[in-house]
Amino acid sequence: MKTVGRPTVSLLLRNFLPIVLFCAAAALISYVAGPNRYTQRIILLVVLWACASSSFNIISGYAGQVVFGYMMFVGAGAYTTVLLFKFLSISPWFGMWAGVAIAVIAALIIGLPTLRLQGAFFAVATVAFPLIAIPILNHLGLEELSIPFTGHGAGSMQFRDMRFYVLIASVLLALCLVTVRMVESSRFGYALKALRQNETAAEAMGINTYWCKLTAFMLSAGMGALMGSIYSFGLLYVLTTHSVFGFFIIVRILSITIVGGMGTVWGPVVAAVFLVPIGEFLNSQFGDRYPGVQDIIFGVALIATILYMPEGIWGKLRSVFRTVPPMSDTFRKALVEEDSTPNIASTTKYDGPPAFPSIQPGNARDRHDRPILTIEGVNKWFGGVNALIDLHIEVHKGKVLGIIGPNGSGKTTLFNVINGLLKPGAGRIIFDGMDITHLRAHSSCQLGIGRTFQIPQVLGSMTVLENIMIGAFNRNRSIFKAQAEAEKIAREMGLAGRLHDRATGLTLWETKILEFSRALATRPKLLLVDEPMAGLNPEEANRIGEIITSIGKIGITVIVIEHVVHSLVKIADWMVGLEYGRKVAEGPPEKVISDPHIIEAYLGARWKERHARS
Amino acid sequence: MFIEAIISGILIGVSYAVLAAGLALILGVMKIVNFAHAEFAVLAMYFPAYWFLKWWGIDPFLSAFIALPIFFALGYLTHRLLIEKIIGTGESSTLIITMGFSLLISNLILIGWSGAPRIITQPYTMATFSVGNVLINRAQTYSLFASLILIAALFFVLNNTFMGKAIKAAADDPEACAYMGIDLHSTYAIAFALGIAITAAGGCLMATYRPFHPFFGETIIIILFASVILGGMTSITGSVLGALIIGLVQQLSVLVIPIALQNVAVFTILVLCLYIRPQGILGKKGRAV
Repeated sequence: MKTVGRPTVSLLLRNFLPIVLFCAAAALISYVAGPNRYTQRIILLVVLWACASSSFNIISGYAGQVVFGYMMFVGAGAYTTVLLFKFLSISPWFGMWAGVAIAVIAALIIGLPTLRLQGAFFAVATVAFPLIAIPILNHLGLEELSIPFTGHGAGSMQFRDMRFYVLIASVLLALCLVTVRMVESSRFGYALKALRQNETAAEAMGINTYWCKLTAFMLSAGMGALMGSIYSFGLLYVLTTHSVFGFFIIVRILSITIVGGMGTVWGPVVAAVFLVPIGEFLNSQFGDRYPGVQDIIFGVALIATILYMPEGIWGKLRSVFRTVPPMSDTFRKALVEEDSTPNIASTTKYDGPPAFPSIQPGNARDRHDRPILTIEGVNKWFGGVNALIDLHIEVHKGKVLGIIGPNGSGKTTLFNVINGLLKPGAGRIIFDGMDITHLRAHSSCQLGIGRTFQIPQVLGSMTVLENIMIGAFNRNRSIFKAQAEAEKIAREMGLAGRLHDRATGLTLWETKILEFSRALATRPKLLLVDEPMAGLNPEEANRIGEIITSIGKIGITVIVIEHVVHSLVKIADWMVGLEYGRKVAEGPPEKVISDPHIIEAYLGARWKERHARS
Repeated sequence: MFIEAIISGILIGVSYAVLAAGLALILGVMKIVNFAHAEFAVLAMYFPAYWFLKWWGIDPFLSAFIALPIFFALGYLTHRLLIEKIIGTGESSTLIITMGFSLLISNLILIGWSGAPRIITQPYTMATFSVGNVLINRAQTYSLFASLILIAALFFVLNNTFMGKAIKAAADDPEACAYMGIDLHSTYAIAFALGIAITAAGGCLMATYRPFHPFFGETIIIILFASVILGGMTSITGSVLGALIIGLVQQLSVLVIPIALQNVAVFTILVLCLYIRPQGILGKKGRAV
């Protein structure tokens, strides 16, 4: 197999041309519509709300962290720009970048503590910050802030003709959309999509979830600040704390993003195009008699969308016009040319034990013949339960280590401690000559510890190819290289026929193979395999055994947890038995399974007695 | 000054505690973050508290207990018609849908009953008790006792009735509940209804001494969330403690900083808590995987 595909100019065009065209069209429509202030006001509102919602979409749609306190950044941008203009006569063209800086710093301060919270609590905790900002600004006498008029001119961003503001806003929108598109089709964007669906799996695939969320948060914040600056100069003229830090901002942004479709480039734009004019129209017609009518429309739109169309307008349109589900960013044309297709994933055709020519193990740093993994006196408590007690295990390079033990004996906890999903209470873990006791899962993965889960943690709404790419990004920065590697691995593992299918639609067998493929794509030196045979029929279980043996042959050390003892005996070079968090047996497989402790643990003391008598 | 601040802190704290307990109940059982929570309290301030007094001269303290069955029914309906449809679709979507619902409630109140701030005037509204040389507002004192009764009743229901035990069990382990033959759907609906009912009653009590307007919910919802986060997210006892702490912080802060900044003090405490102890006072650390 060799890589043939290349990123093409047509791809760039497909990604960015529509954005440029749309924003040019917005500016053109505004130009043709003439200088009528009411019309221009509506066009400007549409474009600005589209900007804000697209910016919001990065952290809330792509990264899945809904920020209810997003008005903090719009307000920070607006206030910084206007304050600099008013008191220091700094042109808003420069002031808005100061606003961006303030918003990004604010995002860092807000994100550091709050991003550790889970979904909804994060959303709510962020609201505290604008609520801190409002009374402070009011107290400082800045509750109302008018922009001083210094004569019409480009330098002070004060125009008589509103079409100039629409032009500026259209450029900003183009900037926002291009940013969103670039995020979407980058390694960073894939990481965000992965962590949105399953943070544990993302961590285990080498994605630093906390850092990714923080970066997305700061990016979103900075873009929101730009919108705030233009909004205050183009529309408000007089800022109040409530007009830029108030709930009304987040209500608009959230409604537009949800109705359009979270995590899509065009969703917020489409929703802004029709929601904003409807709202403005209703407000001008009925606003004096029914003052809350605009917000009621937004409220109803929110509820109806979540209930009947959770993917939003754009998501719905896309699924109507596209028969195949995949996202836009993987290239439909394969980047890899295939010579032959070994077919592991299909259970009907079988051509002997698999070999993996293109799967590369990570290179061990430690050249000496020391154990690749040493567990020294590891303890782990959950409240009063001792899950692991003073565990000592050495794992040798290139071997397959089997771990057996009844349910609750601490096997999965051991894996979680090794790859950093849990911190041990005491003891040390040395991997490849390095102390990894306190590393988090993504760092362990980057060092070369791969992991499959007992309950498969595939990313359901992503395609098979994208799932494997998430793994491949661990060693490839470029999206093209990652895709090429993912395709090769998918072929060798026999998932070639399902590359562009969503992972939710896979059978259990395919799901397990996908887990293996994704873990192998991270190029591990050590692979942790948690109950790979659970739920499979005997033939499939045997095939999994062969796959594990083959993985061992290409130089990857494997640790397998398994209940199907007779299958494990066939593949393991060495075995460890656990019971109540203690190591009760260790040695070659035949010796361990005849160990009285293990027999007792699995079959009970009575069976052992009877066995002993007979 | 200090004693007065402590007393008014406790009075305010307990009035938040009733609302926060309802929020924590809903959150703990269904893992639903109800952003429309405060709006139910505001609705109860208008109806029954304000309008019952206006139309029939019914005292708001009586209305608080009338509100219990009305809002139990309203909460039950809300759950059956709206919340139930999105259980299991993720925390964000429940948060968003309840936010949409809060927009609806507050703007319908605005359209129906105008945005003018309302105040309930009864003989006890401005009257005070004097203990030594400390003056305590009568309405707030009556509310304190009524709130304590409500909280005690909530704990009684949760600890001593079958339904209450089912609710607690469903909060702990919904799967095991389903295996034990507990109807999760109706348990959830009743828990939601119970949470809304106690909140509405708390709203009526609050209306006896605080002016309110259709968007009053916006000002208290974050205080309620802060109480719940301080208290450890899902523990009702924790949220009551959290609300007390917030009431005290709010009132004690007035001794050192301008009164306009009292909520800054509250949210600063919340943010500090997030930095130092993100799992809250009574919260537990979860297991990975």
